Amino acid sequence: MTLPIMIVVNVLILIVLGLLARFVKLGEQDSRGGGWNFNYTTSDLIILAVVGAIAGVVNTGTGIIWNAANAAGGPLAGAALQGAFMWAYLLAFFLVRKPGAMLIVGLIETAMEALLGNPSGFSTLGWGLTQGIGAEAVMALANYNNFGWWAFLLAGAGTSQFGTVWTAYLFGWDSSPEIVAQYWQAAPINMISGAIISGLLGWWLGKLVERTGLLRTTRKE
Amino acid sequence: MNEHTLAYIDQDSLFHRADALSKLLWVVVVIVLAFQTTTMEARGILLAALLVIALLFARVPLSVILKASPLIFGVALLLGLFHFFVTPDEPIFTLGPLHGSQAGLVKGAGYFFRLAIMVLVSFMFIWTTNIRELMVGLTKLGIPYRYAFAIFTALRFLPIIQQEVDAVQAAHAIRGRAARSPWAHRFRLWQRYLFTVIVNGLRKAENTALAIESRGFGAYPTRTYVKPYRLTFVGVLIVVAFMLAGAGLILWEKGLLVL
Repeated sequence: MTLPIMIVVNVLILIVLGLLARFVKLGEQDSRGGGWNFNYTTSDLIILAVVGAIAGVVNTGTGIIWNAANAAGGPLAGAALQGAFMWAYLLAFFLVRKPGAMLIVGLIETAMEALLGNPSGFSTLGWGLTQGIGAEAVMALANYNNFGWWAFLLAGAGTSQFGTVWTAYLFGWDSSPEIVAQYWQAAPINMISGAIISGLLGWWLGKLVERTGLLRTTRKE
Repeated sequence: MNEHTLAYIDQDSLFHRADALSKLLWVVVVIVLAFQTTTMEARGILLAALLVIALLFARVPLSVILKASPLIFGVALLLGLFHFFVTPDEPIFTLGPLHGSQAGLVKGAGYFFRLAIMVLVSFMFIWTTNIRELMVGLTKLGIPYRYAFAIFTALRFLPIIQQEVDAVQAAHAIRGRAARSPWAHRFRLWQRYLFTVIVNGLRKAENTALAIESRGFGAYPTRTYVKPYRLTFVGVLIVVAFMLAGAGLILWEKGLLVL
């Protein structure tokens, strides 16, 4: 299976996850401040910048281990850690509640990682882009107004799996049937890892921040 | 920025004199070349050329390149070894259960060179470019300055956050974080330190937003800069030279150009 087919299947996965986020309601329903509102305030942009910088610092060490595991062991070796990078995207979306927030944080975070010494250099931006698009796609299908744990879990799974499209391109995971087979075997692990470490962690951190009262000035409900 | 950060090296070199957007385009050209060339010989030449350029034309000290070499070559080497052992063919080398083949050697070397080229060119860009100049250049490309400012802000916050992470980790250590504590305990500590850093960061973000808005940030659709962006002749020359050299390399690789 070649890269275009990998991309198509991953897009289908995103669509399924997005439709689940839209139509299956689990947990508390929170839609405060959501929707297709692109009016970013200065405060929103600074929050995205700070969350991106924090994630860049925190993820750089993990990035080195993940890069080494994937490069040396292929798709299965780094799958459990694949979801460890996108908690900030989901946290930023929880805080700012605007379309594009996850993509912006993804690009800022990976740019910071590149500056801090990620062993993939500026190609790290490819993960920021694909993972950001993955998270945005799931939340867009849910109309950007579902802030319950279920939507975040699904977005975490989607962003984690869609990020592997760039890894497959960069690391040549479409080069032989054996590696392609490993790639698909790793997909459930990627998604579980993303759902927990990115989706649920991002949502939970957002809830904790909300409890501190720091968001009162940002989110004027 | 602290010692862990890849930082701009203030030098007077051809690459330092080139404008940031031209260098960004040069990075793109080199990455495209790394993908368009298919043989390990061509990629090897490209990597060697970049190393020579880094030393002679960008005046990056050898010690800096050596210090960064685990990052530049480490993951690329692992990727090369992975393809060497995974690509099926007649084995030419055996290491326990692992069999390396001739086809794997060619493919592995190709991936090694490709990734090493991409990382080296990224690092060369960072070593020779003031990122703030790049951000001003990006606004010239049509990116709204409020969004470009988000990247400025992230860069400004980077050393503060690094210091904060170090401080919180030190505070945990002082309060008796055991080096051999169970993983669950370590995870709980990690959660606590992450949350502390996030809350402190958000508090600073709120204050920063309030401060810059009170100074009129965002009030007008455009803004001025202390150092405006200017396209340089040297920058254009570097891009054109690399495009021509790259085309020559691809033609040589295909046997259409004999040296």
